[in-house]
Amino acid sequence: MGLSDKPLPTVSAESPGLFGSGTPAFLTSSMDFLVNWARRNSLWPMPLGTACCGIEMMAAYASDFDLARFGMERMSFSPRQADVLICAGRVTYKFAPVLRRIWDQMTQPKWCISMGACASTGGVFDVYSMAQGIDTIVPVDVYIPGCPPRPEALIYALMMVQEKIRQESLSEHAVLRAEDPTRVAMPRAGDEEVASLSGPFGNSTKQNRVSGLDRTDAISRPGDRIP
Amino acid sequence: MAEKKSSLDAVALGPSASADTAETPQPPPVTAPDHPSVAGLGAKFPDAILRHDIVAGNQHILFIPPDRNLEILQWLRDDPGQAYDLLRDVTAVDYGAGTPLQVVYQLFSLTHRRALSLKCELPLDALEIESVDSLWKAANWLEREVYDLFGITFLNHPDLRRILMPLDYAEGHPLRKDFPLRGRFTRAEQTRRALSQDLEHYYTEQELDLGGDSQALPPAGKETPEETGLEVVE
Repeated sequence: MGLSDKPLPTVSAESPGLFGSGTPAFLTSSMDFLVNWARRNSLWPMPLGTACCGIEMMAAYASDFDLARFGMERMSFSPRQADVLICAGRVTYKFAPVLRRIWDQMTQPKWCISMGACASTGGVFDVYSMAQGIDTIVPVDVYIPGCPPRPEALIYALMMVQEKIRQESLSEHAVLRAEDPTRVAMPRAGDEEVASLSGPFGNSTKQNRVSGLDRTDAISRPGDRIP
Repeated sequence: MAEKKSSLDAVALGPSASADTAETPQPPPVTAPDHPSVAGLGAKFPDAILRHDIVAGNQHILFIPPDRNLEILQWLRDDPGQAYDLLRDVTAVDYGAGTPLQVVYQLFSLTHRRALSLKCELPLDALEIESVDSLWKAANWLEREVYDLFGITFLNHPDLRRILMPLDYAEGHPLRKDFPLRGRFTRAEQTRRALSQDLEHYYTEQELDLGGDSQALPPAGKETPEETGLEVVE
């Protein structure tokens, strides 16, 4: 805020006031409340619809569900002007650096929603080409279950982000918004965390049992091993 | 009904009727009509048809020797009686257990409205076959896909690179039967390798240079070719 030469507003008969003649022309509030109020009511989402969840996301901001009611009327197709990354759909390893670069390009403050089973855990795609949850790549604030989730679920997740913002404080800003420049384009999770996040489950454990392999990275034709 | 030895027999037998046949009227048995190209190919190349299968009722599959695929396919394309001018697909099959990989050519003749499948069997220690890019340009990306996912080398291919997997993918060829479902590296290593990809590496110099075309726009205020120095395309 720049300094102004104008005289400060005063309580006077001439001042129209905020709530009628004679009332104060100014408000007092806590800085946290004002900043959080402004942030949470004008979240600009960065839509990243990579699969069928993207269709539900489009439905969420079309007229029936109308995400604009929550202050998200502008889908920001530039990561540099976005506040929330909505990753809607599966993320392959080949696409992972693109997702990471979009996240790195977004300016602080920023939040991330992982929409659907595939983005959150890899879903049914427990295979060689799929990232097992985008939380191994970028930090995630809200996970939405479902395959795909309904638009109401996405709206609820955005309201949860709003609630999270409401509880933030500027005094924690340095901790909450801290970014290590040396970690740009690096996996968010460490080796052990990636292993625990992407352990076999569901269908892939059955597949291991059927094939008689304890470890899915066993090699039955050693001649194909790449040195 | 004959006992099924493997699931592959079901493919050869084609669609079978459901178990309760008591009340369901059975369709008349389909007699596979003779395929005109099979006789023509047999007459032109007497020893080229290693095997002739008819699957799913009327789908003809010819097995040809892999070292002669180019001359046979060229004849099928150029002979007016065959005129297979459309290459619908090039793909490959791995049935596992050390069996040879099969390269499959799906041909279609728009002139005669006729389809034909050709297969070449490649033993696992000699995964090389001549590229048919010189016959159909459609083969370019299809053969790249087969190379990427099965590891079959197409000789004289103009641009044999990986097309679906990352260019620096080092875990092998994912559609082989012996490829483990979750890949060969740990998830942490896969994540690390994925994020260390150089994104610009996927674009050719020509593609990257497209943005430079904005430099070639005529400067403001200069409208005539003499002023801009740009060539006029008639």
